[in-house]
Amino acid sequence: MFDLLKQACEIATREGCRFADARYLDIRKQRIMSRDQALSGCNDSEDSGFGVRVLYQGAWGFASSPNYQAAEVKTVVALAMQIARASARALREDGVNWAPEAALKLNFQSSCERDPFAVSLEEKADLLVSANEIMLQNESVKRAQGYLMFKRVQRWYVNTEGSELHSDVTSSESVIWAIAVGNDDFQERNWKAPSSNRGFDAYDKAEFLLQAERVAAQAEEKLSARISPEGEFDIVTDSENLSLTIHESVGHATELDRVMGYEVSMAGASFVTRDKQGEFQYGSEQVTLMADNTLEHGLATQGFDDDGVPGQRWEIVKDGVFQAYSTGREFAHYIDEQRSRGCSRADHWSSIPIVRIPNLLLMPGKQPLSPDELIADVKHGLYFEGMDSFSIDQWRLNFQFGGNAVWEIKNGKKAGMLKAALYQSRTPTFWNACEATCDANHWQAHGVMNCGKGDPMQIAQMTHGAAPTLFRNIRVCRGRDS
Amino acid sequence: MNRQQCEDLIAGILQTSRAGELQVTLNGVDRLGTRFNDCAISQNALKLQHTLTLSARLGQKKTSLSINRLDDKDLIKRSIEQVFANCAHMPDDKELMPAPGNLIETPEHAFSASAEQIDIDTVGSWVAAACRAGGSANIDLAGLLSIQKMFTAYGDSAGGFAYERSHNCDYHVTASDSHGSGWAEHKGVSLRERDVLRATRRAIEKCSKAQNPVVFQPRPTTVILEPQAVGDLLSIAFWYGFDQRAADEGRSAFSNHDEALGNLSLYSDPANDLFPTLSFSSDGQQLGKSIWLDHGHRQQLVTSRYWAERQALEAKPSPANLILSGDGNNLQKLIESTDDGILVTRFWYIRPTDPKTLGFTGMTRDGTYRIENGIVTHPVVDMRWNDSVLRILKNVIASGIAVATGEFSAMVMPPLKVAAFNFSSLSS
Repeated sequence: MFDLLKQACEIATREGCRFADARYLDIRKQRIMSRDQALSGCNDSEDSGFGVRVLYQGAWGFASSPNYQAAEVKTVVALAMQIARASARALREDGVNWAPEAALKLNFQSSCERDPFAVSLEEKADLLVSANEIMLQNESVKRAQGYLMFKRVQRWYVNTEGSELHSDVTSSESVIWAIAVGNDDFQERNWKAPSSNRGFDAYDKAEFLLQAERVAAQAEEKLSARISPEGEFDIVTDSENLSLTIHESVGHATELDRVMGYEVSMAGASFVTRDKQGEFQYGSEQVTLMADNTLEHGLATQGFDDDGVPGQRWEIVKDGVFQAYSTGREFAHYIDEQRSRGCSRADHWSSIPIVRIPNLLLMPGKQPLSPDELIADVKHGLYFEGMDSFSIDQWRLNFQFGGNAVWEIKNGKKAGMLKAALYQSRTPTFWNACEATCDANHWQAHGVMNCGKGDPMQIAQMTHGAAPTLFRNIRVCRGRDS
Repeated sequence: MNRQQCEDLIAGILQTSRAGELQVTLNGVDRLGTRFNDCAISQNALKLQHTLTLSARLGQKKTSLSINRLDDKDLIKRSIEQVFANCAHMPDDKELMPAPGNLIETPEHAFSASAEQIDIDTVGSWVAAACRAGGSANIDLAGLLSIQKMFTAYGDSAGGFAYERSHNCDYHVTASDSHGSGWAEHKGVSLRERDVLRATRRAIEKCSKAQNPVVFQPRPTTVILEPQAVGDLLSIAFWYGFDQRAADEGRSAFSNHDEALGNLSLYSDPANDLFPTLSFSSDGQQLGKSIWLDHGHRQQLVTSRYWAERQALEAKPSPANLILSGDGNNLQKLIESTDDGILVTRFWYIRPTDPKTLGFTGMTRDGTYRIENGIVTHPVVDMRWNDSVLRILKNVIASGIAVATGEFSAMVMPPLKVAAFNFSSLSS
């Protein structure tokens, strides 16, 4: 499979390109959807092709094709060079400063104990429909749904520096949800089986059925829950809820391409300007956020990125202080770093790599601390579980998040359920209000499968992790009038 | 691929499969995309993507399979066998409907002869001209110029067939410096250099008027939402709220809700002059003009063929565009009629907060200004808002002239003047 990719790079070198790389991807996906007692769809797809990126006359050009044949490879390289010539009409004053990287030969395979594409449709249908039947046993639940999604991406990468890389990554995702309908309201409650780079071995039917019963009961409970109070409260977030907050307020904020204005027109910029590196108090001393693209089962763990840089591990925030950005080879020089952090990823063979959030983890507390002990320290507050409404400004400062289920905390204990609760804060205010996070026994990883960035938009995946965590004096508002 | 090539390929596939019912969709996109920032091209790509989707039905069982290699006959043959083999393992779905079998009229409203001629060098030269305008104004420009040349074909074993070519052109640009930012766009099925330069000048002008914004204490306020903001809001609201079955089953903001939502009409029409679209849906249904709100009164919402048959309604597929009627006022007139308000260029990161009330949150971005005594007086710091689309539509005071817009889908929206729009907190 490497031969034609090498040929592309050889042509590019011969034609005078300063750098070129070529990727071939073979992508297989399956998505199975359930609606009540039936499957509402089963969509399989197979998609393959290659892309060639050239740095020519100081400008980038990229072209791609599904037709992986020798003659087409020549055509695509020529097209990429033609596009680079068109790009040269508006060149960057300081040119492209491409961080060096040693030639690498690597073969990466994610863990997949049970190939999801070899599992029968009957077994997958049984998993989803059985969960739906459990949810529908609750009389308030009028609609039960779910889906399973499996993806296998085989990737071959070659560049003009001599790297020859191959990865084979299988990932899995599943969600079930119940919609309860009352006299004048309806409420949804879901359970996300942790998404990860694993096969069907990630799923256990007994766990699905247990969770189905729980979410149905909680969907019903949400119907009669009272509308959230407003004001300043202590809040406790579970690991899934905080995973999304980490993603939006730290992950995106510390992508260096955003800081340098490359995403201004769509995803936005960042308040984490370069002068903050090594000095800015991002959070309290309890906050250490580790980037780890070597994390086992992590969705951003792919062996190497699409610049040909291996996965790495580094601290983005240490003891509350901002340390380092996520970078690709085009961006490392902006902060005088000699090497990329290996975060440049494309979502398809026809897409250009851009800087993406790595697996990003809030490290657990060092002292033994359980969720019950954490909540016991809250006189009046809210407990947010699961992901719901999420929105953040283009500087990654002002944010507002909900929870899929929210409880009031009174005198150190979870009291009744609330609905329409939202917490609203500014990124440094929020993270500096972090008082404690539970220990490693309560730490969980959660996958983000639909991270949109780029223009045209690309969709990437990564894993975040956290333990239940306490934040003091956070503004709580509500999405519905009382 | 042209019509004949698609017709031949689809006919060959339908002849091969005799086991059950088959629906075949062919999509082709050639996309030129040039991205720029700091007045320089940062990414420039040509994307060619063809997709063949086979949807097989055996009794009340159905599956689909997509591939992207249309020239591999063996692969296509294997795929047909595979999709029927998968189908046999599916449980029954009582809601499955047979293929519609429609011979669809395809007038190619969304085909543009001028867009068809745009090539890589043209795109590069237009972006370079825009970048020069930014350089002359000493303002950073960032944005995307994208030209999509598409074909879509559909055929089914009940005799249905359609083929249509279309274009989608998108230029959007953010002008910024360290003191403020402005934004503008041109959307539609065609694009000329003067459209690019006009949008660029508008973004630069917006930026120049957005310098050093001051704090406006967030509170319910009269706003004038420019068409982009209206389109951003209504596209996501439509997606979350405008389904007939959900309304009938108590799972929608429109369940037991008959109150008029102001006086504007919301409809879809593939033949709309400003932003025409394909004439058929991906499952082979003809798209015609559909009215969703008639002078504020809710009409029948998006209705699947199954639900339509069960409820004795007309099937109404998901539309390809949304059009909101306007009063024909120009934006300046709306501003002049406002004593105390906020002018919003665009929204960002709109997400639902309460499906029952069609409640949403979002931010203002790239050009938010104070209006005092009929004049735009100064820029204000961006704000978060939390409000209900039902309430926003009821609170519309006046509207303007509709233009083509839409971040993710085709929208034709006027500016709206809305009372008591609920700003809730400050951004950066």
